[in-house]
Amino acid sequence: MNVGYLCTYTPKELVYAAGFTPVRIFAGDEHISLATAHIQSYACSQARGSFERALKGELDVQAVVFTRCCDTLMRLADIWERNTDMKVYNLEFPSRIDEKSRDYYFRELQDFANTLKEWGGDVTDESLRESLKLYWELEEKLKKLFEVKPDYEAAKKVQEMNVRDAIEFVDSRLKKVEKSGKGPKVLITGSVCPFLEVYKLFEEAGFILKDDICTGTRFFTFNTPLKEIESVEDGLSFLVEKYFNKAPCPTKHFPNDDRFKYILELAEDCDGVVFLLLKFCEPHFYDYPQLKEKLEEMGKKVLLLELEFPISSYEQLRTRIEAFYEVLA
Amino acid sequence: MTLKKLKATDRMKQIMGGYYMMGEQAEVNGWITSGAPVELLYAMDIYPVYPENHGALIGAAKQGPHFSDFAEKMGFSRDLCSYARCDIGCVFAGTSPVGGLPEPTFLFACNNICNTVIKWYQVLSRIFKVPLFILDTPFIRKDLKESYIRYVHDQLYEFVDFLEKTTGRELSDLKLKETLIKSVQGVNGYSEVLKMAKNKPSPLTCFDAFLNMAPIVCLRGTDYPIEFYAEMKKELVERVERGEGAVENEEVRLLWDNIPVWYRLRWLAEFFADRNACLVADTYTNAWTGFISMDKSDVFWSMAETYTFSYLNIGIEHTAEAINRLIDYYDVDGVVIHSNRSCKPYSFGQYELQKMIDVPSVVIEADMVDSRVFSEAQVETRLEAFLEMLK
Repeated sequence: MNVGYLCTYTPKELVYAAGFTPVRIFAGDEHISLATAHIQSYACSQARGSFERALKGELDVQAVVFTRCCDTLMRLADIWERNTDMKVYNLEFPSRIDEKSRDYYFRELQDFANTLKEWGGDVTDESLRESLKLYWELEEKLKKLFEVKPDYEAAKKVQEMNVRDAIEFVDSRLKKVEKSGKGPKVLITGSVCPFLEVYKLFEEAGFILKDDICTGTRFFTFNTPLKEIESVEDGLSFLVEKYFNKAPCPTKHFPNDDRFKYILELAEDCDGVVFLLLKFCEPHFYDYPQLKEKLEEMGKKVLLLELEFPISSYEQLRTRIEAFYEVLA
Repeated sequence: MTLKKLKATDRMKQIMGGYYMMGEQAEVNGWITSGAPVELLYAMDIYPVYPENHGALIGAAKQGPHFSDFAEKMGFSRDLCSYARCDIGCVFAGTSPVGGLPEPTFLFACNNICNTVIKWYQVLSRIFKVPLFILDTPFIRKDLKESYIRYVHDQLYEFVDFLEKTTGRELSDLKLKETLIKSVQGVNGYSEVLKMAKNKPSPLTCFDAFLNMAPIVCLRGTDYPIEFYAEMKKELVERVERGEGAVENEEVRLLWDNIPVWYRLRWLAEFFADRNACLVADTYTNAWTGFISMDKSDVFWSMAETYTFSYLNIGIEHTAEAINRLIDYYDVDGVVIHSNRSCKPYSFGQYELQKMIDVPSVVIEADMVDSRVFSEAQVETRLEAFLEMLK
């Protein structure tokens, strides 16, 4: 069984350990039409576009897991359940990431493991140990690949495959990858962007890329070294640690404004920062003005690009990206 | 057509005028979200400031676009919640229809109404550089799990520590119990007022309910709502005794869904009254009646339960059930659904709800405060057609 998910806070390691294949769901290339009968146009096009694909029968997934990351996905779970044949589960990832929410998240993981069991998948000490190891390997390899040169095609593809195939795929890319040339370095920050042409536009304009994107480095940036686990419980504790230390997302509340610190640190060695934001994405748009101000205080040039999926005009984007290049070069 | 006014509304204005004055004199205050457990603040004599109520007030004063503009100029997107935009705008403008809100001592956001408030209050905490407490209430899509209540329960204790540390005051158990009792009394009194709409004709419309809801939101846990709603109920009982409806010749009984369109309250009220249609109830004000089931042996556990299972924090099956209960209780013929651009958790799922509720419904597209997105012609056409169909 393939288990779909939209948010990178979904503990896909557990899904895999249960014998299922976790598959990330992205918005498609086609115009959104069927979904408009079920959800308003002021829902972001990631939500509408992903649901559109489900309604069209394009997704080979039999179950979907939602996390409470934003108001839209919170509501989408019910809408999805009522209009598809897929099983739907909502794992309530805490919105507060701190000491106080650890035990709670651990219990949520236990409940999720039980649901996976009801779906016919058993998480065992052995299967969880194996799964944690495989994902660790995948993440390390993706990090290595991105250190040489960001590869958004690879990042996207591996999210739609079995983790073993994904590791092999990244291996093959590692063999071929060549270091990027010279040019102004730009940090792209935002929610999701599975449309690879966008990154190409940056590269073609002459930029060296770095990102904080949910379909890019945020998919594989965890900061917890692999640990040998003795039991399933042990593995769940490890997952709490792993997901609490993940590259931060604006849908969460961190003590001490950790996300701002994280972005400012990432931006240090960059010449400019591009906010690649999806229209109607509230969590990102709330952060934008104050984060922009801080970046500008650091002397960084900032550009806001607002997207809607599917992207209707790449030429318009190209013009703005090239103009930004002129400013930085 | 002149609308019938309730005398209670004048009294409400006095009370709320006093409430805003109190804020100017308060030594310590906390900015708080509308669905948060305010009882803990009142029990410690901390003045609660309600940015959402302030947003509604700006909307009703038709100042939404004006104050939103201040925030938009700072880079806040027009797609963000209009309560948030207007309130943030007022901070930058340094004023508002009530002269601006007092600067906060601390901020308190509970996401049982939306996750937006987390982001909004983070913005405020960076502006004012004051401590922010987030009360995280897991979304109850299906079952209310014990682990959810436990999580919220523990945070409530943590919040008391936060309050004591931030204000240097101590929470007395006795005072908390007294406050909670008042809260329950206020909620019951308010509930009784709304229930008067069961009468035919109904002595009040949801517009009366909207106009007079501020005390239960902002002053819950004090004596004001208890006295005020008792008085309001008396007035409504008198109307019923005289056989007087809020709308002359009530022919159609309707239910309103979502936050009001504040800048069009009067227009909408007249529109329906002119057509002998009475919006007898709504899901918004009723959200403040369902809660507080106070088990006195463990008030923190009760609070955790109450504030987690709140109207906007439950899955669609629960929501449909709640709406159908209202439809049944108030004997409603149809539902007017406000698809509110500013409130995603309230609006997404409405198209599904239309299929799950027991009577016909119509959706109008608008925004609670931002009048720039309101199309009078479109709304009028939709509502006309809907009423035509019901009659």
